[in-house]
Amino acid sequence: MTELLLVKYAEIHLKGLNRPYFQKLLLKRIKETVRPFALNVEFFDSRIFIRGVQDIEAVIERVRKVFGVHAVCAAVEMNKADFGAICTAAAGMMTGLAGTFKVRARRADKRYFIDSPEINTRIGAVILEKNPALVVDVHQPEHVINVEIRDQALLYTREVPGVGGLPSGSSGKAMLMLSGGIDSPVAGYMIAKRGVVLNAVHFFSFPYTGELAREKVLSLARALSEYCGVIKTYIVSFTKLQEAIHVHCPPEYSTLVMRRLMVRITDFLAEREKATALITGESIGQVASQTMEALAVTDRMASRPVFRPLIGFDKIEIIRLAEKIGTYETSSLPYEDCCTVFTPRHPVTRPKLSKVLEAEAAIPELDAMVAVAVETAELLYIGPDKEEDALSGETA
Amino acid sequence: MSDYTVYLDNAATTKPAQAVIDAVAISLRDGFYNPSAIYKPAVAAAKEIENCRMLIMDSLQAEQVVFTSGGTEANNLGILGRLSNSRQGGRVLYSLLEHPSVKSACQVVPEGFEAIGIPIDPSGRVDLHALDDLLTPDIRMVCVMQVNNETGALQPLDEVAQAIKEKAPGVWLHVDGVQGYLRHPIRLKDAGIDSYAFSGHKIHGPKGVGALALGRKNSLKPCLFGGGQESGLRSGTENTPGIAGLMAAVRDFPREHVMRRLKIHLYERLKTAIPALIVNGPDPQSAYACDHIINLSFPPVRAETMLHALEAKGVYVSHGSACSSRKSRHSDTLKAMGVSQAALEGAIRFSLSPLTTADEIEVAVRATLESFEALKAFTRR
Repeated sequence: MTELLLVKYAEIHLKGLNRPYFQKLLLKRIKETVRPFALNVEFFDSRIFIRGVQDIEAVIERVRKVFGVHAVCAAVEMNKADFGAICTAAAGMMTGLAGTFKVRARRADKRYFIDSPEINTRIGAVILEKNPALVVDVHQPEHVINVEIRDQALLYTREVPGVGGLPSGSSGKAMLMLSGGIDSPVAGYMIAKRGVVLNAVHFFSFPYTGELAREKVLSLARALSEYCGVIKTYIVSFTKLQEAIHVHCPPEYSTLVMRRLMVRITDFLAEREKATALITGESIGQVASQTMEALAVTDRMASRPVFRPLIGFDKIEIIRLAEKIGTYETSSLPYEDCCTVFTPRHPVTRPKLSKVLEAEAAIPELDAMVAVAVETAELLYIGPDKEEDALSGETA
Repeated sequence: MSDYTVYLDNAATTKPAQAVIDAVAISLRDGFYNPSAIYKPAVAAAKEIENCRMLIMDSLQAEQVVFTSGGTEANNLGILGRLSNSRQGGRVLYSLLEHPSVKSACQVVPEGFEAIGIPIDPSGRVDLHALDDLLTPDIRMVCVMQVNNETGALQPLDEVAQAIKEKAPGVWLHVDGVQGYLRHPIRLKDAGIDSYAFSGHKIHGPKGVGALALGRKNSLKPCLFGGGQESGLRSGTENTPGIAGLMAAVRDFPREHVMRRLKIHLYERLKTAIPALIVNGPDPQSAYACDHIINLSFPPVRAETMLHALEAKGVYVSHGSACSSRKSRHSDTLKAMGVSQAALEGAIRFSLSPLTTADEIEVAVRATLESFEALKAFTRR
């Protein structure tokens, strides 16, 4: 009898002929995520098996966060030939419980000597005999013991739900504009959940923001990487552009011009990365730069789709999601992600494109500054374990 | 980033002196024995502790010294240890500019006690008139720090002690001496101080060690319980390496220094070039200003921006009004002094050490002026 983890996958089952492609990606991601534990991970019979696990809770916590995982089960594996031993083990796993239960058998090996209902009945009888505090309820049981007959027999009672979605890499790549606030990590999570590889872009305005703000953004990227794997993170030095906007543009248009330049730079980086979309955490009307008119003006800077998965969400809904995925606490740290010096008191909410273009035209050598910002962007590789940042530090 | 660094955040912590590092290493290597044991090397370790105690008692004219884990524990022990030894309840006065380790201790005084804040004046000193009114017969303790850590304001301890003597004789006076110890020498008995807390790492000693010096013997109850070390006042195996380092720090602290001259020079150079400069706290030239701390604002430049700009030039200073928690972004001390919002947002603390040189001050002045010139145009519109 050996202990192991059984990983069930979600939507991949709905795939047709390309199902193996998704399975392979998911297997790769799970191998990546448990690498520090040096475990044996293999795919077999529509399930992924992880063997050799010592710290079960730590591994479950990691694996359940991999996109594409429906559930992680802590199971025991036994020789299916000895049905008596299986019954005894099943009864042992139900010791100490009270209330209603059912046995849920699944006979993948159709040559097995008894069928699923028969397995249920026989194991159920042994459990009832050993533990009189239990009664059978096949409709709404409080406890379920699963028995899968495959190459071996697998028994498990505990099934930890996974995050679902599609495995990272199955849907291409997008650039996430990661500010350090509450919204952008949530937006990144939602798109990454659909199998999209994330590259993050952060705009850094030293000395208006400092090392702590930068660290904050990196720890947000790290939190996201627990779900989707290593995130290539670009840190763009934005100070010169921000100062130029401040000097040359009307204050009420400055935020919008800033947003447009950020999108423009991100779009350039997307070109280099062969990413097919941009992701932002905007939601309609949250701030002046997120009115429909303002979004229309910033959208023009991107030559590929801008995904805004939070567009119809209230702040409170976004906060709940941020709490759920574990980024809220970091996002709420007090270091300013964009110094208030550059936040106008009265930003325009219904911008006119002609005015925006006029404001941008007033900035001398804008194209050259944008090019420098793109060229000097710092590139970091952020993964769930700090050691994975080893490749970091090169300039883009 | 610059290769050359100028460290002007000595009120936050100081660089340990080489003699301190050596003393800690020697104690860890050769004197690791438990001072409570009875064999020879352990007795020697205990003797080392007593030597340090004598040195500190001598430096403060104290009756008793209890080693602690630092300034915070010493403040807690001085306040809570005294109050729990008090037979009758009553009120505790603490100045509104006290360090959180005093303020927070005052917020958890034992049942029967109530803590009340003493207002402060715009220069950052305890308001003596207000204190006078507050000194009623039910007062059991007064807490006033020696040097304020944010503004560098020297507190009128003589006047406080005098007021106590006249209006409430016998009331316990607790002084947080973390910023003042050795920089502004003081004699507990002459000054009428009953307990005095300080920390090792603010005087080029190690972190994790400090002491409470007492003007009256056997007048406290412990806050930590266990093996009865430190005459029962502070249980726990003695921090022998920390105490060895503390001894080296106290012994070698430069008694002669030019911090005051350098501080005034820094101020004058900046003031000449930046007329809008604001001093948060007492006039740097006045007798109420300590030697090593000066708190300045450079409107319209915000503190955080200035700090980062100075950091890029290798000059390390700190917020003059640090956001200690998310709830209150700015320091209660500066707010209680009535400092303007612009000054609050721009407050920067420069703090010197006896080892700070004129060259370093020159680098800091130039870095500050350059940063100010570069940043002053960028204000919120």
